[in-house]
Amino acid sequence: MSNQLLISKVSKAFPGVQALNEVNLNLTSGTVHALLGENGAGKSTLIKIITGVYLADSGSLKVEGVEKSFHNPIESTHSGIAVVHQERNLIPEFSVEENITLHNPPLKLGIIDRKERTRLAKQALETLGFEIDLTERVKNLSVAQMQLVEIAKALVTNAKIILLDEPTASITGSETSKLFDVIKRLKSQGNAILFVSHKLEEVYEICDTVTVLRDGVSVLESMPLADYKQGEIVDLMVGRHLAERKAETRRVDRNATPVIELKNLQTSLGHRNISLSLYPGEVLGMYGLVGAGRSELARSILGLHAITGGEILVNGSVVKIRNFTEALHKYRIGYVTENRKEEGLFLDFPVRKNISVTILAKILQRLSVINPKKEDDIATKYVDRLGIKVVDNNQLALTLSGGNQQKVSVSKWLAAETKILIIDEPTVGVDVRTKASFHELITELANEGLSIILISSDLAEMVAVADRILVMRRYEFVGDLDNSKDYQSMSRSIMNSIQAS
Amino acid sequence: MKFKKIFNDQRVVLTLLTIALFIFFGLRNSAFFNVDFVIYPLLRDGATLTVIGLAQLCVLSIGHLNLAVGRMAAVSALVAGASYQYWGLTLVQGAILGVLAGALLGAITGWIIVKSQVNAFIVTLAMDFALLGLVTFIYVTFTGATAAFTTKPAGMDYWRSKSLADFCLGPICGPKALPMMLVPAIFCLILVSFMFSKTRLGRELLSTGSNLRAAKLSGIPVENRVMTAHIFSGTLAGIGGLMLAYTNGSFTAAIGSQVMLPSFLGPVLGGTLLAGGAVAVLGTFIGTMMTLVIRQGLSVQGIGLETLNIALGLVLLLALSVGQIQKMFTSIKLRGKK
Repeated sequence: MSNQLLISKVSKAFPGVQALNEVNLNLTSGTVHALLGENGAGKSTLIKIITGVYLADSGSLKVEGVEKSFHNPIESTHSGIAVVHQERNLIPEFSVEENITLHNPPLKLGIIDRKERTRLAKQALETLGFEIDLTERVKNLSVAQMQLVEIAKALVTNAKIILLDEPTASITGSETSKLFDVIKRLKSQGNAILFVSHKLEEVYEICDTVTVLRDGVSVLESMPLADYKQGEIVDLMVGRHLAERKAETRRVDRNATPVIELKNLQTSLGHRNISLSLYPGEVLGMYGLVGAGRSELARSILGLHAITGGEILVNGSVVKIRNFTEALHKYRIGYVTENRKEEGLFLDFPVRKNISVTILAKILQRLSVINPKKEDDIATKYVDRLGIKVVDNNQLALTLSGGNQQKVSVSKWLAAETKILIIDEPTVGVDVRTKASFHELITELANEGLSIILISSDLAEMVAVADRILVMRRYEFVGDLDNSKDYQSMSRSIMNSIQAS
Repeated sequence: MKFKKIFNDQRVVLTLLTIALFIFFGLRNSAFFNVDFVIYPLLRDGATLTVIGLAQLCVLSIGHLNLAVGRMAAVSALVAGASYQYWGLTLVQGAILGVLAGALLGAITGWIIVKSQVNAFIVTLAMDFALLGLVTFIYVTFTGATAAFTTKPAGMDYWRSKSLADFCLGPICGPKALPMMLVPAIFCLILVSFMFSKTRLGRELLSTGSNLRAAKLSGIPVENRVMTAHIFSGTLAGIGGLMLAYTNGSFTAAIGSQVMLPSFLGPVLGGTLLAGGAVAVLGTFIGTMMTLVIRQGLSVQGIGLETLNIALGLVLLLALSVGQIQKMFTSIKLRGKK
């Protein structure tokens, strides 16, 4: 096996922070190499150096034994490096083949050679063992299909080194296994693959070697993954032993009046026979795969999509919730969205304004003027309470890490003192430690009397946090299980209820 | 704080630049320092354009734009002019009626945008055409060849020709260079600035502009806010229209026909984002003054109309790049932080 990519003693500093400190990484052909680390450990910086976005301060980077120094992404591409980003870089209105050949369209007399383009795109997709209509517009594809198109796009540049940045963050389980087939195929063709993910189970399934970054230092360098247990890897990532929290079952009073109850609800999106009861202080899990209709149900309850049948009861009386404004101010229901950047935050606003947005009515003085002191105090209260890492309350939301952004997005609902909180996929793309702190927070809030509906595709998260788990499949509930908090048995029953339907 | 600092800096830079340009033109040709022929009219036009710039700023705050801003001004002037000519209303009564007409047009525009979900660009463009036809039709039908309402209510010339020098507290009078027209402009500047920087309504408008979906999901009644922004825009355009008419001395279809593009210059030069979410109210005044100083300065130099337009085009380009340049600086800063 040859050294495709050899990184030695690479350092990179930004004002006030040493992002990378003499990091080493040895990526050989025909292997899948895991790059692990918490948010802010330096993974993104390292990827950006490999792809020519940043220039390293010191250290060397060799591709197939040749010393390189990339000043821009094009130089990196020409050296056979391709990256598939978390946020997809496809043009939705263009066809599959146009996207695949976007960077280097085959030309004939200066005009795009359509036949050649089709051939190239077809070839790339065949390499991946994946069939799709080449003329389909990318916007009509599923997230998983887009991901494969993105990989195909990487292949037509004749890349030998492929960086996959959290490729499974937003695709379903079966799509993930298809993606893994593709990765295995690329590996057997002699490519070197760098795999970045927060999901350790997947890393163990697909990766051969591993590098762990912590605070900009490579604490584990290009070692065979099989030699390390999952717990050891986590310890290396977080730098201390994370005590296994003994998840306890909580007591929920199911004789009380449910804070929200759905009876045979139907929606214009196709939900049928949706019935559920959420009791005071309960964490009700709503498990399902991506696309099962869980977020859509939450949004329908809050008035975004039409309810076509059945009833919604809040505190025992039938209600009609027309929009989010009513949901918040009249029924005290909040919704933490799964798309925090697009829907959860005002990125170019300071943290203070992001938290106060739901409570403007409560912090007014004369002439409808916002009281700046009250606003700041409330922001401070939740910044402290949730341990949000900020310089001050005026720091822009844009500049926070993913986990901290998520906490800000939750804070506004806590500030509004909602009685019911629907939390949608709170820990996607969040590192192990922040994830654990989120789980603690949810339990804590429930203990204080907040009633929570937790939507998640993360089985471990469901079992760790929910009191009861509803399983949704194709816009219907197919299971209703009391959570014993025993992962083995719970995951089996959940899978059974999905299979049986 | 950093964010605020950039904005402060930009306003300071813009002010200094305007003053420097002013002095530069004055040194080249001392006629430029003439109070009666240059400074007074400059500030009078500046006052009017600032108010129309604020009309544009109100919709820019939510990421919309109002291409009908000039025509809304024309309708206000039309309504006020008709009320003076045919119904014999006083100056103030007619003015109130005119401004209400502007507000109504804004409300209609906002309502169409909310209900039809059609982009504000298209709706206001269509509105502009419709109003152009309507305004011309009414003037021609009612006044024939003159195509103007010429009745001047008592006190109208006062606003056109008086300055703060005519406004005395005992023995102390205001400077002669400051026209009375500045009074309504300053009034609008203070109100709009207060609204955006201090009040709940302002915050809700800016939130809607910053991220519509997030605002909606956070319980802000975004559809109402879109209406509000357009009502404010129509109201301010109406005030601007009256100021134009009073300066002009008669009410014609041509009022407001030249202000649509300049209405973007002031706010954007001042630091208002076209995408919404951030406004620069005082910056609108400074930006407007700068464009006028350049225009007036060049024309005092005896530069022809074509060259003048080239220069103004360059300023527009600069204005529209400011947001982008700013973004570049912010992103460099952010890169540094990470």
